[in-house]
Amino acid sequence: MFRMFKKGVLLILREKRTFIIFMLIYTILIFLTSLFLENSLAGNFGEVSGYLVVIFLFTSLILSLLYAWILVSRKRRDWATLKCIGYTNRNIITIVSGIILFTSLMGLLIVIEILFHYTAIFTYIDTTEISTGLPFILIGLYPVIITTVLFILVQVISIALIYRKVLKVRPIVALKRVGE
Amino acid sequence: MPVDMDTMIEAIDVNKEYRRSGAIIRALADVNVRIKSGEFVIIQGPTGCGKSTLLNVLSGLDFPDSGKIIFDGENIARSTEDRLARIRRMKVGFVFQDFNLISTFTALENVESVLWPTVLRASEIENRGINALRDVNLLDRKDHYPVQMSGGEKQKCGLARAIIHRPRVILADEPTGNLDPQSEKEIMDLLKKINKESDTTVVVVTHREKLTSYADKIVQMKDGRVINVK
Repeated sequence: MFRMFKKGVLLILREKRTFIIFMLIYTILIFLTSLFLENSLAGNFGEVSGYLVVIFLFTSLILSLLYAWILVSRKRRDWATLKCIGYTNRNIITIVSGIILFTSLMGLLIVIEILFHYTAIFTYIDTTEISTGLPFILIGLYPVIITTVLFILVQVISIALIYRKVLKVRPIVALKRVGE
Repeated sequence: MPVDMDTMIEAIDVNKEYRRSGAIIRALADVNVRIKSGEFVIIQGPTGCGKSTLLNVLSGLDFPDSGKIIFDGENIARSTEDRLARIRRMKVGFVFQDFNLISTFTALENVESVLWPTVLRASEIENRGINALRDVNLLDRKDHYPVQMSGGEKQKCGLARAIIHRPRVILADEPTGNLDPQSEKEIMDLLKKINKESDTTVVVVTHREKLTSYADKIVQMKDGRVINVK
């Protein structure tokens, strides 16, 4: 199973454009969800931040579904070929899961990287006694961890929803002539 | 019905119909074919005669409306999709007319991909992949992507993918349909070599009459029926 996961990662790393676009969207969504979760937990902006967290998570679900749908539809012939050479539906959904989870994890790593640098920069600025009025820590650790767990749950839901589409890819499609 | 131990694949009273634009097309009509282990069989006939449909049902890619498909002693006409996938992974190698290589994988990765769902170690898979590419004289192209290969090279890669798991049967659907005469001869010679050296059963679907010289058995089809076996 882990090997199939790795092959999914290999597959998407070579499809740079799709990978980068979705990774950046995930990065923005994870950042905004963490930020508003932080504000919601701190009681800032009243109920609005709570609603925004739900909206971002819902957007993430739609995005993950779209991503999975694009992966299954655009590569339909490849999945059919893999079924012809002996891949089960489970093998294929594992590859798709690897692609989706890896992309969102990369988005998460970028957010963590940005937050580390943000904290480091503003800690340094503080030592120079220049006042910026911005907080040292933009988002705490807990909101990021909670966001990560929520995002992984959302990915799992989208993978479960797209499973039916994988089942519908018939191996016989691989034998059809190109353009037929 | 007792199954002859020599029989690799057998179609018994197989029928298959399609609906297209409201009309019913009888793709296979009472087809009976027996393919023995180690045979080189060519299914030949004009376009639309049902030969590809026959290959599809023989391989479990499509189900017959009625009749039996006995594959290596097992009736696969009503097997589950997962069971059929496992049979194909263990016993069948496919060669496609359009090569069907995955564009983002190198030649070696395309060949190895058959064994990725197995429990074999990565080093063993790589060794087998390299050996399969060597067998089809394509080792020097192992790190090339499909877009960097010629049609003949792509089909050699497809052939290496079909033999990496040492299948009992190779099923080829118009394997030389998109190739020039030189590459066509190379691919057919390779199929014959695999058939002879490893006793692998080879079933080739083609509309080209000149390829019948490679066959031990020729199954001629017309209008969904087997009209001659020689």
